[in-house]
Amino acid sequence: MTTLSTPPHDSAERTARSAPSPRGSRRGARSPVRRRRGDLRFVLACLLPALVLFAVFMVYPTMNVFRMSLYTWSGFSPDMKFVGLDNFRHLMDDDQFVRAFQNTVALLVVVTVVTMGMGLFLAAIMTRQKLRGRNLLRFVLYIPNILSVVVIAAIFSAVYDQKNGLLNGALRLLSLDGWQQVWLGNQKIVLYSVAIAMVWQSLGYYMVLYMSSMAGIPEELYEAASLDGASVTRQFFSITLPLIWQNLRTSLTFFIMSAVNLSFVLVRAMTGGGPDSSSEVLLSYMYKQAYTNSSYGYGMAIGVVIFAFSFLVSLLVSRATRREPLQF
Amino acid sequence: MRRSLALAGTAVTALCLLVGCSSGGDDAGSGRTTLKVAALEGGYGRAMYSEVIKAYEASHPDVDVQLQISKSIEDEITPNMKAGKYPDVVVLGQGRKAALPETLIKDKALEDLTPVLKTQVPGEDRTVGDKLTDGIVGNLNTNPYGTDQTYLMPLYYAPTGLFYNQGLFMEQGWQVPATWDEMFELGDKAKKQGIALFTYPTSGYLDSYFYALLADIGGEQFYTDVMTYKKDVWKTANAKKALDITTRLLSYAAPTTVGYANEQDFTKNQQSILDNKALFMPNGTWITGEMADAPRAKGFAWGLTPLPAATEGGKRYLTTSVESAWVPGAARNKDAAKDFIAYLYSDKAAEIFAKSNAIQPIEGIANSLTGESAEFYKLYEDPSVSALVGGFASTAPVEGVDIKATLFDTANSIISGDTTEAKWQSALNEASEKLRQAGD
Repeated sequence: MTTLSTPPHDSAERTARSAPSPRGSRRGARSPVRRRRGDLRFVLACLLPALVLFAVFMVYPTMNVFRMSLYTWSGFSPDMKFVGLDNFRHLMDDDQFVRAFQNTVALLVVVTVVTMGMGLFLAAIMTRQKLRGRNLLRFVLYIPNILSVVVIAAIFSAVYDQKNGLLNGALRLLSLDGWQQVWLGNQKIVLYSVAIAMVWQSLGYYMVLYMSSMAGIPEELYEAASLDGASVTRQFFSITLPLIWQNLRTSLTFFIMSAVNLSFVLVRAMTGGGPDSSSEVLLSYMYKQAYTNSSYGYGMAIGVVIFAFSFLVSLLVSRATRREPLQF
Repeated sequence: MRRSLALAGTAVTALCLLVGCSSGGDDAGSGRTTLKVAALEGGYGRAMYSEVIKAYEASHPDVDVQLQISKSIEDEITPNMKAGKYPDVVVLGQGRKAALPETLIKDKALEDLTPVLKTQVPGEDRTVGDKLTDGIVGNLNTNPYGTDQTYLMPLYYAPTGLFYNQGLFMEQGWQVPATWDEMFELGDKAKKQGIALFTYPTSGYLDSYFYALLADIGGEQFYTDVMTYKKDVWKTANAKKALDITTRLLSYAAPTTVGYANEQDFTKNQQSILDNKALFMPNGTWITGEMADAPRAKGFAWGLTPLPAATEGGKRYLTTSVESAWVPGAARNKDAAKDFIAYLYSDKAAEIFAKSNAIQPIEGIANSLTGESAEFYKLYEDPSVSALVGGFASTAPVEGVDIKATLFDTANSIISGDTTEAKWQSALNEASEKLRQAGD
């Protein structure tokens, strides 16, 4: 069915390397060593602008975050006080921080599992089942991804409105009055209300991503499988999933990182971290500490924790999902 | 040849990209002073600033005033400030999320403006200090370190308190309660008609409620004790009384309050006053403009009242919100900045500001008002009512401690039953104690 293979060698490169060099001709031609060095210089020169920008806007600020986390500083004054790891020690005793951390982890787990699961499911249906109007469906599902966060917050404010909201209105219509909730006011469910908005926002993007990789799987594999009597579910788990696995891994890492950011912007626009900090996430807490509470160094310490956390989670996910690459 | 051209091209591109990041050159030294003024575009609009600046430039031909005005002015001036380019005058009050003045206060990075009080207003024969109303400077809002030095000049002031619908009270024959007992009696009466006694837009609006309540209960001394984190101040009987009253009041809160108490939906809480679904909410005079286009119940008329007195006939306070003008310590044209600030208190400037409803704390200005806002400012004329200015004293920042959040946001949890009054009190005590130690 599928074959295990190593990536094909670049044969063109090999022939180029083994081809005899025009050493004999002396008519102005430079030696290959010199030429290669010249090429290298040219490549470096081309890369330089990007490298400089990367260093100035990514590497330097990131290093600065690490450095600043060791200071107490309000953000403006020239006097920064070096305090070593004190900021991190304070983090341990800070209940609000622990709560924000828990919320972030909960959001990451719930949103990742639901988005990835639903994205795969929908993508499989859209590519395998020849649904009528699937282009329209794909379009509709993708739209939330291009909306600005403020618009999303406004939409969900209308959906979650406790009196005339879409959600509570629909529940009333179905005579499920008992299920009605104050979606953004109940401390026990506000986080999940934010999670639903996050899933809604990112689902379409990942669905389209998986659809494109699923579309690349040769049809014969499915034909052969169905001749062998494999059910649609079996085909999904034995053909589709293994063949898009590399894609899935990459998108999973991206998703975890973007979810950390998305949770911040959505929380800020929808709930402001409230009620009473019950929907605070790490980045919104970092913002509050660094700016509203004038503890810039402490905020940067939270930034370091976020950095380490996303790095670690991505690494773990990447390790845990490592498989031999399958090709068709 | 071609390669070196390509190399040169790349280098130029790289340089251009970097140059694009830096801003253009500074003003050429033409002998004129360029005064950079940054202002928050609040409820009063931006036109009044342009007018005042035009008038100032007309009388000061050697000064060129550059105005930068925005609804999120902090976001626009902070990056430049970090790069060492400071505006000369900033018009921005305390209590906003970005907390820029608060941060600079903590940093001791503001210019001492005490001399401005003794400066003659340009073109007039009185000093700025003479023109200001009594008691508007010398509090923690203007003198944040509790000393005689004034760092923030109060530019506009507005009373905040409980807003309600006068029409509804007239229709029902209700009296605006003068004591807390009457307040809760009214709450029971209103409840029978399906009207909640209390709501708030977001918990942050409780500042106008709490500051006045603390002063009503324990007098100005107690209020100052709380604001300066006196040891165990939250364990006192007065503090307990404040929390008791608040907890009881919150039990009368409109059930929709917490669900709407966020940036996105807070106007829905404000709407409940317009719809006669709730009786009182803490707010400021800007509410009339903010909700000007909102639908309202028949016969609706905005009313403002101070909090009920703690004891019958007791003194009542109106938390007064003050927008300030200040000069960063690192500003380049400090003298020109001080002169400009003095000019902002001139009769000409006051007239322009008053046209946009921006009322300055200048003797006699409030008398010239007409309409809705005149009624609000008249509250100060009641001998039993005093203005209360200020807020929590600034200390060195304490990581993870935000006493305003502990005091105000917990109201959400009290309403929803997620926490208790006792826990609230001990959290306040803990936060206050940490800040006290940082202040020492």
